[in-house]
Amino acid sequence: MVIEVKATITGNVWKIVKEIGDTVDEYDVIMILESMKMEIPVEAPQGGKITEFKVKEGASVIEEDVVAILE
Amino acid sequence: MTEIDKSIHPELERLHSLRAISKHGGGPDKIKRQHDRGKLTARERLDLLFDPNTFYEIGILGAENHEKPDADGVVAGYGKIDGRYAGVVAYDYTVKGGSMGQVGEEKATRIREIAMKSRFPMIWLSDSGGARIDPKSGFGASTDTDRVALFANTGYLFKEESLMSGVIPLVGAMLGPGFAGTAYIPGLSDFVPMVKGKSFMGLAGPALVKMAIGEDIDENELGGSKMHCEVSGVGDLEVEDDAACIQVIRDYLSFFPANCDLKPPRKEFSGDPLALIEDQIATIVPDNTREAYNMHRLIKLIVDDKFFFEMKPRWGKNMITGFGRIGGYPLGIVANNPMSYGGVIDINASDKAARFIWLCDAFNIPLLFLSDVPGFMVGSKAEKDGIIRHGAKFIHAVAEATVPKFTIIVRKSYGAGYYAMCGKAFDPDLIVAWPKGEISVMGAEGMISIFARKALEEAPEEDRAGIVSGMADVIKPLLNVKMAAAKGYIDDIIDPRETRRVLFQALEFTKDKKIFRHPRKHGVYPV
Repeated sequence: MVIEVKATITGNVWKIVKEIGDTVDEYDVIMILESMKMEIPVEAPQGGKITEFKVKEGASVIEEDVVAILE
Repeated sequence: MTEIDKSIHPELERLHSLRAISKHGGGPDKIKRQHDRGKLTARERLDLLFDPNTFYEIGILGAENHEKPDADGVVAGYGKIDGRYAGVVAYDYTVKGGSMGQVGEEKATRIREIAMKSRFPMIWLSDSGGARIDPKSGFGASTDTDRVALFANTGYLFKEESLMSGVIPLVGAMLGPGFAGTAYIPGLSDFVPMVKGKSFMGLAGPALVKMAIGEDIDENELGGSKMHCEVSGVGDLEVEDDAACIQVIRDYLSFFPANCDLKPPRKEFSGDPLALIEDQIATIVPDNTREAYNMHRLIKLIVDDKFFFEMKPRWGKNMITGFGRIGGYPLGIVANNPMSYGGVIDINASDKAARFIWLCDAFNIPLLFLSDVPGFMVGSKAEKDGIIRHGAKFIHAVAEATVPKFTIIVRKSYGAGYYAMCGKAFDPDLIVAWPKGEISVMGAEGMISIFARKALEEAPEEDRAGIVSGMADVIKPLLNVKMAAAKGYIDDIIDPRETRRVLFQALEFTKDKKIFRHPRKHGVYPV
């Protein structure tokens, strides 16, 4: 099953903390966005394996943008 | 229920056949079309809504033309939900588009009166074309002056619904269209679930909008479930389909008493409500105050069985509102959401919190405030949006609420945000903090920018950041709740794992709480 990981807020991708192929659990932080002077983590909505990043560090994202794909 | 033998007397046979006509709704073709649209009929929805064999229909023999009996666009009656009575008006789209004619109006009025006198919740399942504009049984579209004039004697529904508010729970569920007058049914309800992509509401539908102001817009963009649950805030919850909609109505009402004189029902809870929460709750809040975290996850660890019933999850996301239970006792939760704009309180967050607090207070549901708030939104946009009156509304609601109020300072609690999240002055029955809690008029950096402005202006540009961070290191420890606890301003600092235990005891000791206020008709609400 393919799971889309979405940005929870509009901002910039500050740090991608996981790599493609990493296995994650629900609530694991995949990347961190920077918005309103806050560091906003993007968490795995459920457990899985990261197969793709849709953004690079420094990219700007809009709320609800798909930023990574889990399987 | 035992089957009734309908054949023992011709009169009875006739009675049962008349009922059967009504139960057929708009007939097989219309019902098939309703199903093809992915929708259930009014009667199928009622089967899901009520406990088996408890629905009793009133006005089933209602017919616009008694010589030619036919089903009506409105099904009304009462039945039990989890063993407790509730009244319903279900619009049947298969009969003249669920439009409201004279008989439908009579039936809806009758069940409203019954619900109000007997004091049980009222539910509307909307799927209706609105008032019936039809020369025979509707309100107009005719040169018959009596028909046209009928409208002057309508509108009681909206007055009555307004007066029912806060006496009995009101649910205005949208399972199809609800344009024009019918849009005020959800508008005046406490809870408005909307079926995704299939429900719409607006004060005028696309055709009338085009006529009145020349705007070309389809019903989805004008008043679809996504628009109302994410943009306008009129919808409370967007749900997948009819069955899910009925389920959330049942879930929602499970937190409520039948009327404002009763306590909300305690649900059976088999675990130990005094048990510590699992260790992970102690590590969710990061040390770095700039780092956000998942408040929803935290709430789910606090409530029974991780069941959190969220209201307006996709609107005003910087404020989280919803219901949960601790040891079976219902609890309304108001929490800041650091993931969304750092949890700042803007106009929508204020509006959402105020309404939720009024809702819980009206029905004796205790309130829990989980505070991690940088304050109210500032700046010219916020001021133009009326942040003062919206913020005042939130503060007014918290101050006014007499239900048990419990405050937990999870992390920061700054400025008027501390007040609004039920700070000490707002009479919380319990006010405790987690160890990383901070209470302050503002954050350390903000304070420094004000009291050290002169020093900073005189310092060379490259030194300023160093000065600020040096001062912040000195000030930050002073903001920690240890100081407030040492002075006795808050009740305690607790281990996050003790949160359920502390709240359970608070729910028990406040069961008979009573507050007396100066008599008045009502406050002058800032809205």
